Amino acid sequence: MQIDYAAVAPELVLTGALCIVLVVDLVLPDNRKGLIMPVSLLGVAGTLLALLALAGDPTRTTLGGMFVVDSFAVTLKILFCVAALLTLAMSYDYLRKEGIHQGEFYFLLLCSLLGMLTIASSRDLLPIFVSLELVSVPAFVLAGLQKIDVKSNEAALKFFLFSILSTAVMLFGMSLIYGITGTTNLAEIAVRLAATPVLRSIAVLSVFFVVVGFGFKISAFPFQWWVPDTYEGSPVPVAAFLSVASKTAGFVGLLQIMFIAFHGLADVWRPFIAAVAILTMTFGNLVALTQRHIVRLLAYSSIGQAGYILLPLAVVNVNGGSVNHEAFAASIAYLLIYAFMEMGAFSVAVAYGREGGYFIDDYAGLGYRAPGLAVVMTVFLFSLAGIPPLAGWAAKLFIFRAVIDGHEYWLAVAMAVNTVIALFYYAKVVRRMFFEPAGDGPLGVKVPLLLQATIAVSTVMVLLVGILPDLAAHLARMSTLV
Amino acid sequence: MPKGYFGEYLTLAFFAGMMLLLVAGTLGLNKLVSPKVHRDEKYLTYECGVDPVGGGWSQTQIRYYLFGLLFVVFDVEAVFLFPWAVVFDKLGTAAFVEMVIFIGILALGLAYAWRKKVLEWL
Repeated sequence: MQIDYAAVAPELVLTGALCIVLVVDLVLPDNRKGLIMPVSLLGVAGTLLALLALAGDPTRTTLGGMFVVDSFAVTLKILFCVAALLTLAMSYDYLRKEGIHQGEFYFLLLCSLLGMLTIASSRDLLPIFVSLELVSVPAFVLAGLQKIDVKSNEAALKFFLFSILSTAVMLFGMSLIYGITGTTNLAEIAVRLAATPVLRSIAVLSVFFVVVGFGFKISAFPFQWWVPDTYEGSPVPVAAFLSVASKTAGFVGLLQIMFIAFHGLADVWRPFIAAVAILTMTFGNLVALTQRHIVRLLAYSSIGQAGYILLPLAVVNVNGGSVNHEAFAASIAYLLIYAFMEMGAFSVAVAYGREGGYFIDDYAGLGYRAPGLAVVMTVFLFSLAGIPPLAGWAAKLFIFRAVIDGHEYWLAVAMAVNTVIALFYYAKVVRRMFFEPAGDGPLGVKVPLLLQATIAVSTVMVLLVGILPDLAAHLARMSTLV
Repeated sequence: MPKGYFGEYLTLAFFAGMMLLLVAGTLGLNKLVSPKVHRDEKYLTYECGVDPVGGGWSQTQIRYYLFGLLFVVFDVEAVFLFPWAVVFDKLGTAAFVEMVIFIGILALGLAYAWRKKVLEWL
């Protein structure tokens, strides 16, 4: 079998970087472990360069049709690399301050990133499954990296147990599909499912199991119970990475399977997805109202956001066409935008958490103590809430339009109601920052340079995409997948 | 085969029902037909084995786990090496280079364990 090495170049570069990071970790003495961070940063940057070299190329297919590099794959891989870079920059100072083991952290982060890169290219059930595991397994260890902290242990254990359960359910579904179609290739599955209507009942069963399995990964209701505890217990940069990159990887797998392999059965799963999406956003937003810890608030908010991203799936048409294309593009555009606002909010939480604290009460008077930090936090929170002219508004608009185009008006109404509920708890944090007297916290918060860079990049992206929403919409529409 | 929208969800309901029935049925049947003899021996850890010594709560040396992980390194290596060796002369140099890289990565894992003093029994 001939392998197109140019197509897998980014993965090869990252694998090389991984090995180098591990070796550097082995030879460095304990007090110099910080040096691994620039090495990892260079590795991800190299991967990014290899990806940019692939951008704009015609579609490449290799490894027997399992591995496809098209504009969809390249766009998402770039997003994953950028998310990893932001996480690296965010964690450097955090790890040193909290005294967390550094060598393994960077190695595991890059391992997880490798899984994300391969899932964006996988057009076959087997590589999707392997990539998803490659994303999750290092993440279990990352979540439990604060070995002596009970909460970190709890985070890792909950994440691990829920994840392997979901994997088992998903595998069961996948095995059923293989059983009735005799293939694992996504496009081929769609063809054979259409050709064998007799086995439709088993196909319905397998779709259900696959959706449930992915439901855990993307934290959809009622499979979201692990999310708040895991995010709160794990190191905060890891929580950011989980909520952005890991969740996006889950969505990438789910969207590919649903849009390529299962769209012929859309009549069956559409109402189910609609119910899950609405329940997810309602649950996330309602429970977020009562949160007092900023990471838990962001965790519940990210559950709510997952509901929005899932919503376009509920208008998928059996026969394909422009409705599907728009729905797919809306979800992808939301994922692209969501990454930056979530990363930004988490990096401000890390920046303030160094001196102030992680409870929302600690944020009282932040607008007086550290105006810059308070302003950017407001930008990210309002963007998450979907207030114009910020990027989150454009993202919500895309979803809204896709749902309206699909003539599912009640879904649009439910989404609008949820947006209003969500605004309430985001605005609560903002009010606390600007309209409440400062406690006895520090005056002027020192933010390390790398963290400043993370915040700056996220802010610029949120503002830029807010003013020029076509940037994200264009990237998402380029995809020829649907 | 039921038709219509709800008919298709009937499969799910049927599956869930069968699942519940299977669990409830086997457990219930067991409860109904199994003979119940209450003797002291019944309550031992090993009903027809050696009498247990000490408490049930004992700790296992964590090193066994690490050795288990290391075993996987060599296990995976063997799984790929044997089929590769069988058709070695039909594959080109590319396959040879790929296998060298693969073994190199595994060797890196071993080197890592070595360096972290996993191989020494303290």
